Amino acid sequence: MFEIFEYDFMQRAFLAGLIIAILASVSGTFVVLRRYSMISETLAHSALVGVAVGLVAGFNPLWMAVIVAICSAWLIEYLRSAFSLYSDAIMAILLSGSLAVAVVIVSLGGAFNNSLFSYLFGSILSVSVEDIYTIAFFGTISLVLLLSFSKELYFVAYDEEVAQTNGIQVRFLNFLLVTVVAIIIALSIRVVGSLLIGALMVIPTIAALQFRVGFLPTVLISLVFAIFSVIFGMTLSFYFSLPSGATIVLSVLGVFIISLIVSKK
Amino acid sequence: MSIKFKVPIFDVKNLSYTASGQEILSNISLEIFNSEYIAIIGPNGGGKTTLVRMLLGLDKPSKGEVKIYGKRLKNFKEWNKIGYVPQRASHVDANFPATVLDIVKMGRTSKRKPFSRESKEDKEAVYDAMLKMDVLDLQDKMVGRLSGGQRQRVMCARALASKPEILILDEPNTGVDMVSQKRFYALLSKLNKEEKITIVFITHDIGVIADDIGRLFTINQKATICNNPKQALSCEDMSKLYGIEAHLVHNHKHGH
Repeated sequence: MFEIFEYDFMQRAFLAGLIIAILASVSGTFVVLRRYSMISETLAHSALVGVAVGLVAGFNPLWMAVIVAICSAWLIEYLRSAFSLYSDAIMAILLSGSLAVAVVIVSLGGAFNNSLFSYLFGSILSVSVEDIYTIAFFGTISLVLLLSFSKELYFVAYDEEVAQTNGIQVRFLNFLLVTVVAIIIALSIRVVGSLLIGALMVIPTIAALQFRVGFLPTVLISLVFAIFSVIFGMTLSFYFSLPSGATIVLSVLGVFIISLIVSKK
Repeated sequence: MSIKFKVPIFDVKNLSYTASGQEILSNISLEIFNSEYIAIIGPNGGGKTTLVRMLLGLDKPSKGEVKIYGKRLKNFKEWNKIGYVPQRASHVDANFPATVLDIVKMGRTSKRKPFSRESKEDKEAVYDAMLKMDVLDLQDKMVGRLSGGQRQRVMCARALASKPEILILDEPNTGVDMVSQKRFYALLSKLNKEEKITIVFITHDIGVIADDIGRLFTINQKATICNNPKQALSCEDMSKLYGIEAHLVHNHKHGH
């Protein structure tokens, strides 16, 4: 029954998955409340450009993903403030544009293979010790930033203009949030995959919202949902040899459907 | 109590606002002093909300200048002194994960440092604000389940939690019944009289609060300032302002 924990690669995968579940659900609460779901999806695709460059040029794909995702987040924030009318169109362009760029880079570099597949849909086999260090390092920074500005982010999510008239630096906070989300997404693509990470960020919070409780309980419920989904999904991935991103997202969807049913009673 | 008292909280000079070629407000000048109770009335689209948004720096005037406590708006930093209760309490839907207590605590946000725990002072300010707005019994209720009147008082309590010197309220058009409305006005009058909080109030319903307000600004592209509100409430003035045959309910005390 517990032989799953005897494999080194599974221990690494669970550790990485646990950190990512925490990061994705805490940041996800702000992403959902701030209506940034589309941004997280776009950043996940931009991160692939970093992965592609890393694979082809021989750099650490995770580090490259973090760098490209941050640049992309800043570009989005800039474009959103400059052309606020077309904010969703900007996302759509960046999303498909960066996917195209990533595919071209990978194809030209001859790296279109299983390795890329694992970055698209996640893999429990591929988490290295180095990845754990990278995830823990950037993950800690992101979490500290999120927690230290959580009061402000919450206020801004509820009522941006009143927060502004209270002297809260709304532009700085928007910038901070997209940066942290970019980092977290880039870190997650190892385990969850870039096409599926958006779901792990958003769905646990939406499921938690169904229970209509205050802020802190909502964050905690979404945290529990995310951790459960990651562990359950990885276990499925191990026993059925399926991409872990897909099994994690299916688990979180299951949690969401059960939450819907339970909360409507 | 001498010279300092005479610096207006808001000093507005020749303020104009143009949006897509149309002048919404033209050449508005007014001053708001400490401890005043001011009502702003005018027809929909007349620019009341725009004026308030410019006072708060949320919209930029196309001409003119706003000074707060003698400072130009962009140099003003003490936003804690100003409490704002917007017209639409927020864009937020019924699903937002916030209890009334969560909402009122937001009012302390800019006074707290990152990572700091809630201080005794924070807790007292939040309690005090809820007490003054009579929402203590609602503190565990989800914000999405409040009635219009309750919501208005909760938003006001959030503004009060930062201990402002001036409260600016943009009254919602709909969703608040008469009974809650009168109760709310009574609470505001008390704040003004007992706590000396300056109140600026945008409303459609001048009849109900006419007894308490000190000055009345009527805004319909231009501003008229009236130092004796009861006189301003003649039907003639009203029809000038609204451009229609105004039907005015004078005062609730007469009964109708």
